[in-house]
Amino acid sequence: MTAQIELSNVDKHYGAFHALKNINLTIDKGSFVALVGPSGCGKSTLLRSIAGLETISSGTLSIAGQTMNNVPPRKRDVAMVFQSYALYPHMSVEKNLSYSLRLKGTPRAEARARAEEVAATTGLSDLLHRYPRQLSGGQRQRVAMGRAIIRNPKAFLFDEPLSNLDAALRVQMRKEIRGLHDRLGATSVYVTHDQIEAMTMADHVVVMRAGVIEQQGSPLELYDTPATRFVAGFIGSPAMNFVPGTIAADGRSVQLDLPDTQPLPMSRPQQAGRRVTVGLRPEHLEIVDPARAQLNLPVAAVESTGSLTYLSTAGEPEVTVVLTGRSNMRSGDRVGLSIAPDKVHLFDVETERAI
Amino acid sequence: MRRILSSITDGKGFDILLVSLTMIFLIVMAGLPLLYNVLMSFQQVDMFNLGTFSRPFIGLENYQDVISQPEFGLVMKNTAIFVFGSIIGQFCFGFALAIFFMAKFPFASTIRGLFLVSWVMPGLVVGALWGFILAGDYGVLNAILQALGVTNGTMFWKSDPNLSIWAVTIANIWLGLAFNMMLLSVGLAGIPGDLYEAAELDGANGWQRFSTITLPMMRATIGAVLALGLIYTLQQFDLFPAITEGGPANSSSVAQYWAWQWSFKLFDFAKGATVSVMMLIFVLIASIVYVWSTRHEVRG
Repeated sequence: MTAQIELSNVDKHYGAFHALKNINLTIDKGSFVALVGPSGCGKSTLLRSIAGLETISSGTLSIAGQTMNNVPPRKRDVAMVFQSYALYPHMSVEKNLSYSLRLKGTPRAEARARAEEVAATTGLSDLLHRYPRQLSGGQRQRVAMGRAIIRNPKAFLFDEPLSNLDAALRVQMRKEIRGLHDRLGATSVYVTHDQIEAMTMADHVVVMRAGVIEQQGSPLELYDTPATRFVAGFIGSPAMNFVPGTIAADGRSVQLDLPDTQPLPMSRPQQAGRRVTVGLRPEHLEIVDPARAQLNLPVAAVESTGSLTYLSTAGEPEVTVVLTGRSNMRSGDRVGLSIAPDKVHLFDVETERAI
Repeated sequence: MRRILSSITDGKGFDILLVSLTMIFLIVMAGLPLLYNVLMSFQQVDMFNLGTFSRPFIGLENYQDVISQPEFGLVMKNTAIFVFGSIIGQFCFGFALAIFFMAKFPFASTIRGLFLVSWVMPGLVVGALWGFILAGDYGVLNAILQALGVTNGTMFWKSDPNLSIWAVTIANIWLGLAFNMMLLSVGLAGIPGDLYEAAELDGANGWQRFSTITLPMMRATIGAVLALGLIYTLQQFDLFPAITEGGPANSSSVAQYWAWQWSFKLFDFAKGATVSVMMLIFVLIASIVYVWSTRHEVRG
C-alpha cells in the first residue's frame, strides 16, 4: 500500500479560530476513507484543504508524493462531489460531464464519446441532453459523480454527497458509490456526519471533534475499542449508555451508580475505588431472569420497529436496550439485565479516554 | 352586488382592481400620448391647427423632409456614437467595478453604495459638473491629461466639433455607471460560489471561469442591463443643454435633442414627432430584448 494523500502536522486557523489542530493522516492508494464527526468538527475544512479550496496554515500536504501546499486546486488533479452537487445550470448533462475535458482542449468528438461512456456507467445515458433543473435529486447526484469520474483523478473527494437525498435513495446511493469506488480502483475521501454511512462505506474511518482527530481505524475497530468516550458515543446506533460508577474493592468489578445493581465483572483488573464512566452498548445488554440479573431497572418506554425493540428505563441516567424481535414488556415493569465482561467499556472521568 | 364587493376585498376582483389601476394610468399617461405622437408624424401641423385634432394627412412627407435635412446624417451618426459609446463604456466599467466589489475587503459595500451618488444626481447637475471638468482652459480633465503627458495642447472638449459628442458621452458613462454596476452586482451575487469551486477543481483558470461560468450565468442580467442602457441613453436629454447645447454646429446633437429642437425651438411639432417616432422603433427593439431576457423572473 502506498500513500496517495499524506497530511503531516497540518494546522488551519481562521483568524483566532483554530479549525484544524495538528492533523496527521495517511490515506492509502485505493482506500475509501470516511471523515466523520458532528458539524463544526473540521471535517469539511480538512476535505477542502485537500482539494485546495482552503489553504492550510502550517504543516505539509502531499498528493501522490508531491507537496501540494501552494498548488492551486486546478493543478491538484483531485475531483470533488459537493453537497449541493454544484452542477453547471446552463449546461446539459453531457456538457456538465465533459466540462473538464473541454477545458483541456480535448477534441469535441472525443469529449462526447467519453461523456457517453461515463453516462453509461452512471446510468445517465438517456439524460445526456437534459439540463440539471430537469433532473431528480438522485440523477443530479449521478451527474456530479460522473463529472468526477470522467477526469480519472488522483483522488475523489465527497463532501456529504447524500445529505440532500431521501432515506431510501441514500441507502441505494451508498452502495453505488462504494461499488464505483471498487470498480475504478480509486482513492476516495468521504465526509459525512452520519456514522452509519461512514461505518458501511469506508475501509478506514477518521472520527474528528473540534479540529482534532479523536481516533482512526477500521469501522469495527472503532466500534469494538473506542479510544474515547466521544468516539464510543458517536459510533453505534442507538448510542452507547454512559453510567457513572466506582471500581469495587477487589479491582475486578465495577459498581454502577444505579439502584438495584450488582457489580459488573470486568475483563481486566483496575485500581480499586477509582471513579469511572461505564459504557454499555444497548445491543450488548441482555434481558435475563431478574433473579440472576446484574441490573434491575424499571421500564419507562417500549418502542418497536417490528424487527427491533427499544426499551428505555426510568431513572437517571436512562439506559437504552435494543432487542431483536418483540417484547411483551410494558412501561412500569421491571427488567433484569446482564452484560458480558468483555463488553464493558470504561472511561476516565476527567480525560474521557478509555481505560 | 355583495358578491362583487367581496370579490374585490378578497379574491380575483382585487387582482383585477390593482392591474386595472396600473393599466389606466399607463394608457392615459403613456399609451395615448404615444399614439397621438405617431398620428401627428403623419399630419401637417402648424401654429393654427395645433389645438385641433383633425389636421391634413400628408402621409410620409414629414419623414421625407426629416431625412432630407442636411444635418440628418450627422445627427444619426452622433446618436449612434452616443448610444453605443455610452452603453459600451457603462457596461464595461460597470462590470469591472461589480466584479471588483465582489471581492471582500473592508468597507466594500459602503464604497459601492457611494457610487450611487452619480446616479441619484439630476442630469442637469451632472452636466454642470462635467461642464467644469471638461472646460478647455481651466478644466480638470485637461490638467490631468497634460500632467500625465497624454497630450501637450489644450483639448477643447466642448467646442471642438470632433470632440463635443465624446464630451457628452463621457459624462453619460459616468452618470450610468452606478446603475450598471448595481444591476450587474446583483447578477453576480446570484451565482452560487460552489460553481466556481467546482470549475476550479475541473481545471478552469480565472479567464475560463469568467467565460464559461460568469458570462453564461449572467446572460439574462446582461441582456436586461444592455436593453435598459439603450432605453435610458435614448432618453438622456439633460446633459446636452447643460454641456454643449448640441453644438458646435450640431456636432453633438443627437436624435432626442434634435426632436426637442424641432418641437420647442422651431415649433414644428410634426417634425419633432417624426424624429421621436423613428427613435421609438429602436426603443421598441430594446424593450423586446429586455422583456425576453427577464422572462424567467416571472415566478408563481
